[in-house]
Amino acid sequence: MRKFALTAVLVFLGGAFLPGFARDASASISLEKCTLCHGKPEFRKLLVDGQIRDLFVTGDTLAGSVHAKKVCADCHFDVSEIPHRERPKRVACTHCHFKGNREGAPQSDNVLAYFDSAHGTAIARGNAKAPLCQDCHGSHAILKAKDPGSRVARGQVAETCGKCHMEIYAQFKGSIHGAALAKGIAEVPSCTGCHGEHKIYAHNDPKSTVYATHVSEQCSKCHASVKIMGKFGIETEQVATYKESFHGVASQFGSRTVANCSSCHGVHDIRPQDDPLSMVNPKNVPATCGKCHPGANPNFAVGKIHVDAKNKESGIIYWTATFFKWLTIGTMLALIAHIFLDMYGRTKRLRGER
Amino acid sequence: MSRADLAAGQVIRMSLLFRVQHLLLTVLLTVLAVTGFALMYHENSLAQWIIRLEGGVHNRGIVHRIAAVLLMANLVYHVFYMLLSREGKPELRQLFIGRQDIDDFLLSLRYNLGMAKEYPRFGKYGYKEKFQYWGASAGTVLVSVTGIMLWAEEFSMVFFPKVVLDLALIIHGYQGLLAFAVLFLWHLYNVHLHPSVFPMNPSWITGKVSAEWLREEHPLEYEKLKEEGLL
Repeated sequence: MRKFALTAVLVFLGGAFLPGFARDASASISLEKCTLCHGKPEFRKLLVDGQIRDLFVTGDTLAGSVHAKKVCADCHFDVSEIPHRERPKRVACTHCHFKGNREGAPQSDNVLAYFDSAHGTAIARGNAKAPLCQDCHGSHAILKAKDPGSRVARGQVAETCGKCHMEIYAQFKGSIHGAALAKGIAEVPSCTGCHGEHKIYAHNDPKSTVYATHVSEQCSKCHASVKIMGKFGIETEQVATYKESFHGVASQFGSRTVANCSSCHGVHDIRPQDDPLSMVNPKNVPATCGKCHPGANPNFAVGKIHVDAKNKESGIIYWTATFFKWLTIGTMLALIAHIFLDMYGRTKRLRGER
Repeated sequence: MSRADLAAGQVIRMSLLFRVQHLLLTVLLTVLAVTGFALMYHENSLAQWIIRLEGGVHNRGIVHRIAAVLLMANLVYHVFYMLLSREGKPELRQLFIGRQDIDDFLLSLRYNLGMAKEYPRFGKYGYKEKFQYWGASAGTVLVSVTGIMLWAEEFSMVFFPKVVLDLALIIHGYQGLLAFAVLFLWHLYNVHLHPSVFPMNPSWITGKVSAEWLREEHPLEYEKLKEEGLL
């Protein structure tokens, strides 16, 4: 099945040539031949919509990238004569990056995961704007993800996604996560931290990591960790108290309408509680709760939201729970004692009567 | 009491109406406990199995609320019956807790510890029955009030801050647990496991107990019936 999918992918992307065949073609065209034209800085093309496409590429463009040792035709294998008469097709990365390739190109399940994702299926439906590998990873100067200069590096990926998802990027930049990311804090999530890297699905797809019933699990990956949250002085009990609440229980049993973390805290625009723009700022709480509870008033903001009955700081909640705990234990012990005494006395009484 | 009953040495202890009320209480409390504790202990795999059996958390809530409404209706009916009916009024009077009950309790303790020779002589209801009755009634009222608050949470929060509803939730759950624990242990002992009734006091089904049992366990009631010529 996987092999079939891979073949389909190759054919689909215009990679109708077999890898071996492409190698033969590339061998005949050296880098120098291409840079005769593409090596001139002014080599560009005016597109129909008025945009200018910069076509300046030299050997230096690839230098330092993971493809430093490649020549143009290794990827643009449909260019078999110079100058090429037709516009070359978009490069199919799967031409090399498939499992079992002979080039030794790094390969993983990421390609297959991508084709199942929202982006990949959009391509398959014929959406020309949906991203291919090079839209995120870059075309020529491709660097490894862990290289800070890479377009898919932790610090850069939000901007990369933002090229298409502009509004969301603007929201994210203003959020606590975006602000922390800008400061270079390593633990903070960028887009891929929540949405995944290649397995990105629409938020209303049950496979998505940000599907309504998966959101709390996604947030708790970091927010339940004392190790991570301790660094920033953030409480971790929010996760456990949510799970104990009516909202949390309903969510665990599959309710998609019940509030999850993002229903109250926001999705891309999560801000700290003292920020007046925060959805959980006491001033905004009635409006936030009011999304689901019509008529919500300032009373909704009175008292802790994430309340833990086992924590002394919960005040009256803790003391009431503790009172009931000891009342129950005390009553039980008294009743058990009474029952045993009663049985003992009763047995004596019966024996005495006999 | 019919002649046949008298001939068989049977005494009526629970009239049909009381038996119906008691049966409703039994069934409804069971449903409420099963649906309630499944939510309270939702991390437990048995609880999760029960919730799925009930058709998910949403349906669990519906079942719980239907049972709750019926229980509250049962309680309201019972209160009116006890206050207004010819049968209820004297019954209620016999259920009042008085000085005698405290004395009885202390005497029974002393007797059971071997410090007294006499065991207390109870009327129709001894201190054990009264404790059960008033405990269950107070518990039901508390659970009902908090339950209604939580059910109508949007309405409640017009008047109360969120912290009061959190409190209501704590009281609702723990009071339910306390009531269940007392019922399970105390009632089970008194009407099933107690040597005088084992395996079961039949009065909740037949409404009758033997005159012999009454003479043994509720001698004052026995004597009263005898005086009235009912035995």
